[in-house]
Amino acid sequence: MEKTEKQKTAVVTGATSGIGLAIASELAAKGINVIGIGRDSELCKKVKNNIESLYGDVRIEYLTADLSKLSHIRQLSSNIKNMANSEDDKSIDILINNAATVSSWFVGTEDGLELQFAVNHLAPFLLTHELLPLLAACSQGRVITVSSSSHYRTRIRWNDILMRKNYNCLKAYKQSKLANVLFTAELNRRSESNMNLIALAADPGLVNTNIGLKGTSGIVRWVWKKRSKKGVNPKKAAQSIVYLALTPDINRFNEIYWKDCKPKRPGRYAQKEDNASKLWKISEKMCGIKSADYGL
Amino acid sequence: MKSFVCITGATGGLGKAFAVECASRGWNLFLTDLSGKNLENLSRGLASTYDIEALYYPCDLANDGSQKDFFAYIQKEKLEFDILINVAGLDFEGFFTERTPQQIRTITRVNIEGNLEMTYAILKARDKEKPFRIINVSSLAAFYPMPIKAMYSASKRFLLNFSMALREELRPAGVTVTALCPAGMPTTEGCRQSIESQGFAGRLTTKNVGYVASKTIDHALKGHAVYIPGLLNRMLRFVGFMFPSGLLARAICERWKSTRKRKEAIL
Repeated sequence: MEKTEKQKTAVVTGATSGIGLAIASELAAKGINVIGIGRDSELCKKVKNNIESLYGDVRIEYLTADLSKLSHIRQLSSNIKNMANSEDDKSIDILINNAATVSSWFVGTEDGLELQFAVNHLAPFLLTHELLPLLAACSQGRVITVSSSSHYRTRIRWNDILMRKNYNCLKAYKQSKLANVLFTAELNRRSESNMNLIALAADPGLVNTNIGLKGTSGIVRWVWKKRSKKGVNPKKAAQSIVYLALTPDINRFNEIYWKDCKPKRPGRYAQKEDNASKLWKISEKMCGIKSADYGL
Repeated sequence: MKSFVCITGATGGLGKAFAVECASRGWNLFLTDLSGKNLENLSRGLASTYDIEALYYPCDLANDGSQKDFFAYIQKEKLEFDILINVAGLDFEGFFTERTPQQIRTITRVNIEGNLEMTYAILKARDKEKPFRIINVSSLAAFYPMPIKAMYSASKRFLLNFSMALREELRPAGVTVTALCPAGMPTTEGCRQSIESQGFAGRLTTKNVGYVASKTIDHALKGHAVYIPGLLNRMLRFVGFMFPSGLLARAICERWKSTRKRKEAIL
């Protein structure tokens, strides 16, 4: 039986600002039980109070984790599991991998990875794996990864995927967003036989957030300041993602990439199965996991 | 018998870049730094990503007891090495008189003594079947007297001279010593701020750590004595030869003072 919205639970990463914040508030306002993830515990508290005062009686909790660190993601997953297990139906219906970052400089993470690749691609990859038992426990788990139209016209640098030798902020960002689409496609393929799961990639379009101002400087910062003014309000971008999260009938094979509540063709590179499976294998190694252990 | 690449200061920006580069070449790693937790995360990640063996043992080079434990561990495990990369080093930027005695001791302990003792110990545990490579991380600051980084630039000068001399001593034994002399690199938030405060010039002399690590290994394998990343930085070194050092020190001091002012204005 299809659950009503009041019985659903959603996890939203990067939920303290920008699109993530708008998604979390929107879902909470619809009565869904929301678990928001943020990096800064003070900000998490503030945002939670804000949403509660705006919408009144909503169910929203925040957990703190730095998604650039694999150890934090593992810790976060066990915290989410504890939270879900204390509820009645012990499952998670919606996972929205929204958190993303931009960095002008090459920044190495504690696991020996590159910051943008770690946060934008590996964090969704690992978090989805860790939460699979909870997603599989409901009638139709849904994994939405926020990608972007910057995934068009780029490729994966297989020889130097972390761009250690030739780092470029925009190229690294584009690659990580392409990785989001490849991940989504491969997740659908792998989960087809034994799980009732839908994975979707969402394109929010140009949105007026400060993603391009946090880890950047110089030209990148200046361009984003000018460009983001033309973007839509995060609220509007969030609406199309909330639509994806709650619309029951979506064919996960023909329609994996969505913009403004309509399916769209992803880039040609993103449609190739061998790219997706190659990236998947590399990501497994980087996270130190085997998907087979998770039933994928 | 397996041999390892020993990297000190392995969880810092440049050390990490070296660790990733060596791992991507399929070499087994033995990493050390202050924090065991950081070392554990890094070596676990590298071992699974690149299918290598990555061992670690935390060590505080400024602390005699900790260093003894470290060397005892190497002996106990009978580890053998074919490359040593001395990255560990630190700097407290600012006027010498603003430093505490503790800070002064730490700089000399880590940048100079720690490096010498490590080189001595690891050379004893070298894999005799193979050529042995040492990379010492010096700095572009080694070529000039640098006010406001006085102790740091002098300690890096020490490493540069030491490397060049040791290289000749060990040449018959099949050991090469390479001194890496980079300009600023965007490894920590502080470094990035410092580079940004220098404006365009700061950006021009700045090189990506991954690139620097990769090129340095290439140069070390060829047995080169000194490697300075970046054409502009190589030219800057010659400026150091062309002018009297007193004059250079004066000019550098003026420049640092003005960037410091700018940085303080930003903060």
